[in-house]
Amino acid sequence: MPFSFERRVVLVGVVASAALLAATVGRAPAQKPEPRKPDHIVVNAAGGAVNKALREAFFSEFERRYGIRVVDTSPTDFGKLRAMVQSGNAEWAATEINEADGERASRMNLLEPLDRTVIDLSGFPKDIEQHKYLLTRGIYTTVLGYRTDTFAGKPHPQTWAEFWDVRRFPGPRSLRNSPIDNLEFALLADGVKPENLYPLDVDRAFRKLDEIKKHVAVWWTTGAQSAQLLIDKEVVMGTAWHGRFYTAIKDGAPIAIEWGEGLIHRTPFGIPRGSKDAYWGQRFLAILAEPQAQARYANLMSYPGLHRDAIRYTDPKILPFLPTHPENLKKQAWANPAWWFENGEKATERWSRWMLAR
Amino acid sequence: MVATAAATLGGGRSRPRRVLRAHAGTLGSGSVPVLFLAALFVYPVARLMLFSVEGGSLKHFERALLDGLHVRVFIDTLRIASLVTLLSFLLGYPVAYFLASAPRAWATAGLLFLIVPFWTSVLIRTYAWTVVLGRNGVINRSLIGLGVIEEPIAMLNNEIGVLVGMVHVLVPYMVFPIFSVMRRIDPSLAQAAEGLGASGWQSFSRVYFPLSLPGVLAGTTLVFILSVGFFITPAILGGGRVIMIAVLIERQVHEFSNWGFAAALSAVLLAASLAAYGALSLALRDRR
Repeated sequence: MPFSFERRVVLVGVVASAALLAATVGRAPAQKPEPRKPDHIVVNAAGGAVNKALREAFFSEFERRYGIRVVDTSPTDFGKLRAMVQSGNAEWAATEINEADGERASRMNLLEPLDRTVIDLSGFPKDIEQHKYLLTRGIYTTVLGYRTDTFAGKPHPQTWAEFWDVRRFPGPRSLRNSPIDNLEFALLADGVKPENLYPLDVDRAFRKLDEIKKHVAVWWTTGAQSAQLLIDKEVVMGTAWHGRFYTAIKDGAPIAIEWGEGLIHRTPFGIPRGSKDAYWGQRFLAILAEPQAQARYANLMSYPGLHRDAIRYTDPKILPFLPTHPENLKKQAWANPAWWFENGEKATERWSRWMLAR
Repeated sequence: MVATAAATLGGGRSRPRRVLRAHAGTLGSGSVPVLFLAALFVYPVARLMLFSVEGGSLKHFERALLDGLHVRVFIDTLRIASLVTLLSFLLGYPVAYFLASAPRAWATAGLLFLIVPFWTSVLIRTYAWTVVLGRNGVINRSLIGLGVIEEPIAMLNNEIGVLVGMVHVLVPYMVFPIFSVMRRIDPSLAQAAEGLGASGWQSFSRVYFPLSLPGVLAGTTLVFILSVGFFITPAILGGGRVIMIAVLIERQVHEFSNWGFAAALSAVLLAASLAAYGALSLALRDRR
């Protein structure tokens, strides 16, 4: 095929403008050219109130900055992520993922490595800054909550040892219907130091759980249920993710949070490997890591980010309800998702057996 | 599950032979639903079942059938599903009878009342029961207030709560098929029986009830099959103590992405449901 005149003109034009662009940008010649902007990107997250708050805190900022719409889907689903990546049709630019699944996805090579030239992680704790695939958007804590009217003018349980102490602190209790958190709480109640929790001594934990079993009126399944049990006074103390208690307290329920020995979990985001919008996924994660945006999200949901400056932009009224408040932070322990990734299935099966044993 | 149930519903309708003959000429149009079921139901189920024998090994089935935990949960699931089916029948049959014999306006109003709850999500209806049945719930507080009891009765976070919640959701599935069969029973048959000297009870038990059995079969099958797969209601109203097989399957899929084992559990559940259906329809056929 002869090289047509028009083509040559176009080619010259492209070369010329590329040279011009390189000259203007100057110091960033290694930068890949920006791909064509899509009409929208898809971000997957937990859904409901979470997606609404994500929109207000992060999606709208992304849309403003890049002029690309963010379409959100839910829920977080490891199976779907795996199927998507393995079929080579990853439509999510980024997805929320729970911390144990995040570990699994990282090891199964289902995620794009984070692009550190785009995402600024310098304001984060070291282990989070160094993770190759996961950006920790924020944290939540499984805490002890109690009825303030039941413990008015009296001491309330402040540790798991006291939660286990049914003589000094009588009344029905609730715990989550899962070994997650409860094995840790049992070991803490049995005197294990927070820094020595992992690897968990599962036998010891179940022995300690035997002691509390008949005092647990309800083993909760959903987050909504956990707070409702205290609101309805079905139990006088129980566990929940702190945001559930915060919402109930904000709505006037006579409940208080005890931060002592709460267990902190991360809520990471990642980019599915081979995502057609990975380039924009990296830019979206960059916004997730910005302290102002993290503060906006914390103000809405009480689930704060870990950027050290985020607290500066946070509404002071909400600070006491955040696990990142310095007073609260020093009382809590960190969950270890790697242990749960490796032992979760076995522990959960044992949990079901234990639950069925009378 | 629902697709099987729907298929059963169609097959369980009364006077099947006459119905079949009437449609024999339109076999061409009959193959459309068959194709539909094959593509959207049989094929995916077969694919799922293939997961359970991945690598040509039966290890997933070994674990599903020999492990004490899973066997126990299977038995509990079938027991609870049977109880729910029985309770739904005891509640639903009189309702269907009343609606089928009531004047049209009453029947329409009654059916409307049965349908309205379908617009509320199962989750919300389940939480509503926690308000009614709880330790500080409506019933317990009223009874304590009236001095009938001193300590609250445990109706929630145990099997009672699960049964109440499940029956509430499933009763309409019992009523509708029974109602539709009853409506087509010729009232003159019962009159004829009475004319020949049968008492009211005899004419019911020997004429009316046997004629309504196809509806009962469809209703019990539907309710039984739906209840073995129940998930969120037992989890919440059982307070964690009542474990049904759907909970274990969900965990395998969601928490551990062990699709092979989840498929094996599902296969066993499907086989148990089909066996129960087969036994039930045989038993009812003998009575006819």
